[in-house]
Amino acid sequence: MWRVYNPMFDQVPDSSRYEEFVSLYVRHEPAVFSFVLSMVRNTADAEDVVQRASITMWRCFDQYESGTNFRNWAFQVAKNMALNHLTKQRRDRHVFGEKLIELLAVQAEEEADHLDARRRALDSCLEKLPEEEHVMVAGCYAEGSSIRSFAEEAGESANKIYKRLNRVRRQLHRCIERQLGLEEAIG
Amino acid sequence: MKDHELQDWIDGSFNGVATDAELELLEERLLHDEVARKHYLNEANLHASLRRRFSAGEARLSLLLDPPNVGRLSFSRRKVVVGLAVAASVALIASFFDRYVAKSPPTAVIAHVIGAYDEDGATYEAGDTVSPGVFKISRGVARLDFSSGARVSVEGPAQVEVIDEMKVILNQGVVTATIPEPAVGFIIDTPTAHVVDLGTSFGVSVDTAGLTDVYVFDGEVEVSSRDGRKAGAVGKLLREGEAVRTDGKSTPIDTLAYDVSPFEATWPVNSGVLQTTGSMRFVTPGPNFHPGNYVDNKHIVVFPERRGFIPAEPTHVDMVDPGRYERRRNEELPVLLPEQRLTSYLLQLNAFPEGEKPNRRRSVRGQITFAKPIVGVVMANRLLKKSEEVFGIPGVEYPGARMIEPRPEGDQGRGFDSVILAADRRTLLIELQENPGNLDQFRVLVEAE
Repeated sequence: MWRVYNPMFDQVPDSSRYEEFVSLYVRHEPAVFSFVLSMVRNTADAEDVVQRASITMWRCFDQYESGTNFRNWAFQVAKNMALNHLTKQRRDRHVFGEKLIELLAVQAEEEADHLDARRRALDSCLEKLPEEEHVMVAGCYAEGSSIRSFAEEAGESANKIYKRLNRVRRQLHRCIERQLGLEEAIG
Repeated sequence: MKDHELQDWIDGSFNGVATDAELELLEERLLHDEVARKHYLNEANLHASLRRRFSAGEARLSLLLDPPNVGRLSFSRRKVVVGLAVAASVALIASFFDRYVAKSPPTAVIAHVIGAYDEDGATYEAGDTVSPGVFKISRGVARLDFSSGARVSVEGPAQVEVIDEMKVILNQGVVTATIPEPAVGFIIDTPTAHVVDLGTSFGVSVDTAGLTDVYVFDGEVEVSSRDGRKAGAVGKLLREGEAVRTDGKSTPIDTLAYDVSPFEATWPVNSGVLQTTGSMRFVTPGPNFHPGNYVDNKHIVVFPERRGFIPAEPTHVDMVDPGRYERRRNEELPVLLPEQRLTSYLLQLNAFPEGEKPNRRRSVRGQITFAKPIVGVVMANRLLKKSEEVFGIPGVEYPGARMIEPRPEGDQGRGFDSVILAADRRTLLIELQENPGNLDQFRVLVEAE
C-alpha cells in the first residue's frame, strides 16, 4: 500500500508551545553547549549535560516567559545541571568549584553575543585551512574520535597531533579575530 | 611567560591531559583574572564550535526527533507534536496573523531572521512588521516580504529606507531581491544608482563610499547611474549572469566580472533556505550553471530547481517522515498527491578524485534548514530520474547513476551515508561518505513559499 502524506492533517494547533520551545532551543543550543563545555571541559560530558538540560528546559518551559531572554534562562538551567555533574565527578578528580562556575556564568552571559559572532566567523576560517589541516581538525573532532584515535589512523604520534592541533586552533582564533575586526592579544 | 603557561593549562584542560595540579592552577588564575576568563571562554567556544561542526551530534537531536513525554499533558498524543522546530516558525504564525487579521496590511513583514540585530543590539524577530521608514540592521540577515510580493533579504550592516511596497532606498549594505510577477517594477535606489526590476532575482550592494554593484541572477533589471538619470540617459538593461558597478558619475556604467560571493548570505534566504552549516554550500546561480557542470568536491552543494510548481501526477518519494533514511521496498514507497505547490532542491556531493591523495575517503557533514516543511526526499536513482522530468531545471543534462547508501539494518560497519529528517520537518542532517569517482545526489521537495 502506498502511504499518502499530507502535512496539513498532521499538524494541529496545540503543538505551538512545543514549536516555540524547539525554535528557541535550536537557535541557542550552540551557545548553551559552549557554556557547558567551559564548565565541564570535556565534550562527551558536555553533550551529556546539555542533553539532560534540554529535557529539563522542556519540562520547565512553563516557567519561561515568552519574549524574555531564552538564552539566559537556558544558561541557568544548564549551569545547575553542570554543577550536579561536577559534584559527582569531584570524588575522582579535580573539577572547577562553584565560585568559578558562577563567575563563568556571569561572563558567559555578557560575552554571549560576541561568542555567537565568533562561531559564525569560524566557517569561513575553516575553509581557508589547508586540506591536510582541515582533515586533521575534522578527524579529531568527529563523533567518537579523539586525538589519539586520529593519530593512530594517520600513523603519527598523539603528541605530534596534539601540538599541531593546538597550533591550528591558534590560527583559527587569529582568523576569527581578523574577520571580526578585532585586535585581541592572545597569550 | 605567564600567558604561555595559561595557554598550556587551557589546552591541556580541554584535551583531557591536564593534571589535577595544573587544573588547580588554572582555576586559581581564572578566579582572579577576568581577561584570562574571557580568553578561556573563547577557547571553550572554539572547541564547542569545532565539535558541532564536525560531529553529526545525533544525541542532541533526539529531543527534536522524539520529544520527551514526561510531565506534559500536551504530549499524550504524539502525533500532536510533529513539531516545527527552527528559528522563526513561531513568529511566522504571528506574521500570518498580522497579514490576515490586521486591518491594513503592513508594508512588509520580516519573514525570516538569521541572527539579525538592530543598531542597539536588540534582535529582530520573524513576524515583526516593517513600516515605511529607515530599517537598520547591524549584523545577520533579515528577509523582508513586502505586501507587493517582493522578497528582499538584507545582510547587516545595512541601512534600508522603506518607501512603500514597491520601492526601497539602499543606503548601505547587501541585499538580494526576488520579484514575482505582481511586483514587477520594484525599485531599489542607492546613493549612486537607480535599479528597476523587470521580473527577476538580483543582488545589490552599496559600500560605505556609496559605490553600487548590481548582479542579475535571473531575468532582467534596468540600471541607471545617478548622474546618467539626471541627464535623462536610458538605463542599461542587465540580463542573467551580468553585473555592473557605478559611482554615480560614470556613464556608461562599468561592467563587472560576475562574482556572486557577496550575496552568499542573502541569496539562500531569498530562495527558501534559512541556514546551512557544516560542509554545506548553497549555490548562487550564475550563467549556465547546473548540477552537471558545477565543480566542488569538498562541499555538499545545494541547487535550487523548479519553484512553486504543482506536479501533474503523483510523485513517488523515498522519505516523508522525520527519522533516518532507510531503503524501502517499492511497494512501501510513500507518494505525494499532485495537490500541493512544491519547490525542489538538488543536493550533491561530487567526489571526483584530485590532489595528492586521489583515493582518500572521508565523510562530509552538513545541516540544512529550509524555510518551509520538507514534504518528501527522493534518494533512489530510479526515482531521481523520474522526478527530474518534473522538478529538474529544463534543458539541463542530469548525470547518470547516483548513489546514496544508507546503513543496512543490523550492519554496524562504517562508511555508509546518513540522511536524517529532523522533527521540525525543515532540517536535514547529512553525512555523506566521499567515495572517489562517485556522485551522491538526492532531491528535496519542499512546500512552496
